[in-house]
Amino acid sequence: MFAVYKRDLRAFYTTPIGYVFSGILILIMNLCFYFLNVETSSSNVKPIFYLLLIGLAFLAPILTMRLLSEEKKMKTDQLLFTVPIRMTDIVLGKYLAAMSVFVISLLGTFMIPLILAAYSVSEPWAIFGNYVAIFFAASAFIAIGLFISSFTENQLVSALVTWTVLIGLWLVDLLVANIEIVAVKTVVSWLSVFSRYSSFTYGLFDLSDIIYYISVAAVFIYLTIRMLDKKRYA
Amino acid sequence: MIEVTNLVKHYGDKKAVNDISFTINDGELVGFLGPNGAGKSTTMNVLTGYLSATSGSAKINGVDILEDPINAKRHIGYLPEQPPLYMDMTVNEYLDFICDLKGVKDGRKQHIDDMCELTGITHVYKRMIRNLSKGYKQRVGLAQALIGNPEVLILDEPTVGLDPIQIIEIRNVIKDLGKKRTVILSSHILPEVQAICERVLVINHGEIIANDTPANLSRYVDIDRKMQIRVAGSVEKVQPLLARIPEMERVIFEGNIEPETCDFILEPKSQIDIRKTVFNTLANAGCPILMFSPVSASLEDIFIKLTAEQAGK
Repeated sequence: MFAVYKRDLRAFYTTPIGYVFSGILILIMNLCFYFLNVETSSSNVKPIFYLLLIGLAFLAPILTMRLLSEEKKMKTDQLLFTVPIRMTDIVLGKYLAAMSVFVISLLGTFMIPLILAAYSVSEPWAIFGNYVAIFFAASAFIAIGLFISSFTENQLVSALVTWTVLIGLWLVDLLVANIEIVAVKTVVSWLSVFSRYSSFTYGLFDLSDIIYYISVAAVFIYLTIRMLDKKRYA
Repeated sequence: MIEVTNLVKHYGDKKAVNDISFTINDGELVGFLGPNGAGKSTTMNVLTGYLSATSGSAKINGVDILEDPINAKRHIGYLPEQPPLYMDMTVNEYLDFICDLKGVKDGRKQHIDDMCELTGITHVYKRMIRNLSKGYKQRVGLAQALIGNPEVLILDEPTVGLDPIQIIEIRNVIKDLGKKRTVILSSHILPEVQAICERVLVINHGEIIANDTPANLSRYVDIDRKMQIRVAGSVEKVQPLLARIPEMERVIFEGNIEPETCDFILEPKSQIDIRKTVFNTLANAGCPILMFSPVSASLEDIFIKLTAEQAGK
């Protein structure tokens, strides 16, 4: 697993992808922070993290689009699948590499809590809660993107489909509020990756929400492994 | 030792590999010969665990690749048709990554150096793979297959796309490797397989149609004793002369390549040596022979023969 992790993480930064992702993410966060907090002298970080979540739906595909598509296109999957390592290790290595790029980018926003702390307006738990929330949301998004990249050898298709799915999930979330029938609402809310996010942002750690995000990530990682295995039988 | 039993691989409705069985002993250098799309690559992909089989079994050193892939893969070095290279890495980074994948720990630096030496890529060691020529990419792919000293090497068309000098070099490298290891290579070029392999499996339409030594396979090549000749004189004069030879099956006019000469393909009746008769006949008629050469059968001819023979059985 470590071999694949190391190579993929390196590949993010030998191509522009890692820099583009980190750059845009840090730019969005700091701009939002400037306009929503500094300009208005507000200490509420919730809005900027919510915007980051929406932004992540657009940005995550950049991270995941080539993970498996590129291997297939360059036929390097023939190497990975014929050396003595398990499919699980390949998929986890790639997943963790993408997660690492995300975490590295998130570290680039360290100015925000520092500035808030400097003016002693920080609410440590709320800020920490927001970071945890975005971390778990990203783990689900990246797993979904990884899964989609296992379908196609075309990076663009991979990115566009992931983008559509993530934006779709966001729209589902907006819909939930207007659904009257309880049964439908319950089912749809299961899909709502975004609504579960809010409770974190108040600094509330609901175990069920954490489990929800971990489950989504686990299910899609599992499906990716199954998908790659299934292709061998095609 | 490789044991393949009743291996079948379907792609949807298409039977890519149709019930093949063979055994390859330790230290043998065996060639898969067949036209494009015959099922060579598919067989190799199943043997290396890249694809799963529809049915049948494939054992590498006694370990079934379908049941215990991880352990079976430890014995295999694989060079696919397109070398699996990461273009954004340098050669040394790439080979280091391969060592990571294959779990090579002790003496890694020395091992990589040895493999580079063996495949002749030491002087491009620090270059980006993207910038290497096709021949060097192929060699890096070969070095990759050699990392970890696997007992079994599976090479899919290792000389395709190389220039003639590179082909000879790679062939020599493979021959050398074959001294200590079990090697399977595939090719659609008959002389190539004849030049390096100890045994040839001829594959067509997913089936093995011959499993023999190159020498025995040549039997099919020379069996016809077809001749090509160039004679000074006109077609009208020479053709009837040749056609009148009793042992002659067929005379095919090939055109006038040099001025005032004509070329023919001669097909004698079943394996009779007609060279003397042809020479004497034409000499007596005052039509000197300018060129006389045997026509070696093409791969297609062998296939036609082999498949016809099979159908006859």
